[in-house]
Amino acid sequence: MTSTRISPPPVVGPAPRQLRARLRQTRRRHHPGSVGEVLTDAYVLVLFVALYGWFAVAAIRDHLAAPQVALTDPGDRYWIAVAAVTAGAGLAWWGLRLIGPLLVTPAAQTWLVSSPVDRRAWLLPRFGGLVGGVTAGAGLLAVAAAFAGGHDRPADLGWAALAGLTCGATATGWAVVAQSARSTPRWAELLALGLPAAGAAIAVLVVLGHAVGWSLPLPPVPLTAGVGLALLPVAVASTVRAHRRLPRVDRAALTTGAQFANAATTAAVLLDPSLLAALVESRRWRAIGLVHGRRFRAGGRFPVLLQAEVRRLSRHRGALLGWAGALLTMYAVAVALPSIAGPAHVVLAYLATGRLTGGLRAVSRSPGLRRSLGGNDTLLRLAHLVVPGVGATLWYLATLPALRPVPGPLDAVLLLGIVTAAFWAGTRPPMRYGGAMVNTPFAMVPVDLVRQVLRGPDLVAVLVVVHLLWVDAGSGSADGVTRPGRTVIPPAGRPCR
Amino acid sequence: MSTLAVRGLTRRFGALVVLDDVRFQLDAGQVAVVVGPNGSGKTTLLRCVVGADRPDEGEVLLDGRRCDETDPRVRAAVAAALDDIDFFPDLSVVEHLELVAYAHGGTADPVEEVLTELGLQPARDQLPATLSSGQRRRLALASCFVRPRRLLVLDEPEQRLDVRGRAWLAQRLLREKAAGTAVLMASHDTDLIDRVADRRIEIGG
Repeated sequence: MTSTRISPPPVVGPAPRQLRARLRQTRRRHHPGSVGEVLTDAYVLVLFVALYGWFAVAAIRDHLAAPQVALTDPGDRYWIAVAAVTAGAGLAWWGLRLIGPLLVTPAAQTWLVSSPVDRRAWLLPRFGGLVGGVTAGAGLLAVAAAFAGGHDRPADLGWAALAGLTCGATATGWAVVAQSARSTPRWAELLALGLPAAGAAIAVLVVLGHAVGWSLPLPPVPLTAGVGLALLPVAVASTVRAHRRLPRVDRAALTTGAQFANAATTAAVLLDPSLLAALVESRRWRAIGLVHGRRFRAGGRFPVLLQAEVRRLSRHRGALLGWAGALLTMYAVAVALPSIAGPAHVVLAYLATGRLTGGLRAVSRSPGLRRSLGGNDTLLRLAHLVVPGVGATLWYLATLPALRPVPGPLDAVLLLGIVTAAFWAGTRPPMRYGGAMVNTPFAMVPVDLVRQVLRGPDLVAVLVVVHLLWVDAGSGSADGVTRPGRTVIPPAGRPCR
Repeated sequence: MSTLAVRGLTRRFGALVVLDDVRFQLDAGQVAVVVGPNGSGKTTLLRCVVGADRPDEGEVLLDGRRCDETDPRVRAAVAAALDDIDFFPDLSVVEHLELVAYAHGGTADPVEEVLTELGLQPARDQLPATLSSGQRRRLALASCFVRPRRLLVLDEPEQRLDVRGRAWLAQRLLREKAAGTAVLMASHDTDLIDRVADRRIEIGG
């Protein structure tokens, strides 16, 4: 039998560097990899990101410079962009907190990090990589956004870079500080709610102002300068504080993010995003934990299924928020970029409806659930289509004034198409592994993956084409009153744009 | 002074109270078994004790001091085999155990002995993907025995062990007791509990 020490054991172990070296050495015995291979992979990745990133930035820049966009109010466009960036920052903050942001793999947690190894020294390389990666990424994104928006003077790009860098460093530092706290700090929760709420408030202000003929003025100096300079000391302070807090990041905090990282890795390896979605959903419902169960009103199978669907939706406020957020986004797009409002309407309607198809997805992915509910599968799916159908109709009618005052025949076609697309996507069967593969320039891709990814968006693409053809056919718009591709949120005292 | 003391430990998932004001003490050389029906929070309690989960209220004390997983002394003293164990896919059984021994400042000396004791010698060079669920369970248990420990936390260690394995487990736990290790475990095996337990902690009843 191995001995058990009764007295407190001395906390003497290898330095993290030695432990890492030993792990690397042991693993290398089984699969010798060269630095050259790693660098080649990194080069290919950077090349693809740079290539497609440049195409995207150039396309957006060309579109924003087009005459029909230039006619819109620059103040409206600027503040809608500010709203989008603010809401996006909130989502990025939520994402950082969701994955940790510091994490270790479950295996490393079990076999290495649970030992007395110095935690700060163990986490330091990850922390450095995280701060460097997020800061550089945010800086690049800010420069790309400024360039795409036509702000290509060196000073503008410099301020944008500073704003992006400081935002990235600040967010990462604060996220690590929040991760090291024993319970989630109130300010971290407020930030996750406050940033999207602030973005929504700015968007509402701009949209309402546009409707009454008032516009927020452009700031005399770019906001990026103020944000960058104001956040510079905060970024330094938060990074220093995060570094000091590294020893306080505990196993619970490290493993929470690791589960997401593990699910994300598995989803990436198996090319099945539903694996990650399942974990997110499981966490969401576990956070609620307990609900008030009530009896369903009797009335047959269909009404009871419908009641269950409505009840589930009432417990998932995020879905309703997403639905409402898409509605506000539609009005914001109509104000800032009326030239793409028509196609955006179709896409956003599909996304909003998709938020309401949780029940449809659940019954479609689980033969066991369908068996236990019994009855006809088609009727079962149709019962779970009622809520998305009603939601799509309400959303469509609520956003139609952003495009045209009176609905026309095209709207009936599009609405039906959107509900069908949501049904088509929601009834996606589980991913099948081991099926046929197709050779693409990137890799061997399972045919079923292509089917999974395209099911739903394919129909949306058809609807967008139908919409564009209808407009190009010279029928003006669905009601034949307004001009094609233009919005009808009439700014008071201004010509209709 | 008790090796382990749990005071007023409460854990909630949203509005659901899983653990409500759990209290107990455990001395060196004692085995305490957490018993309760499925869903009563046994695993959650063990996870809170080792720091894999954070209680909403209450505290865990190790040798009278707050048990904080970020403290290297706590990690050096607490060995645990819970259900969240994971493996490096590219390291063999023996390499996993040597790594743990090394990370705790020890050498590979006890590894061969533990491998033999747990019947893992034939699988010593196998990668985790080739192990059966019972062998994985044994490897998880082995990770606790190749390193120093004063508190051993095990979540249903009898699971997936065959009859001989269960007999070995009872013997091993008795020897841990004799060596002065405090053992906290969850179990549904009444025979095992009767043989090794000094006290039962009933929760969720």
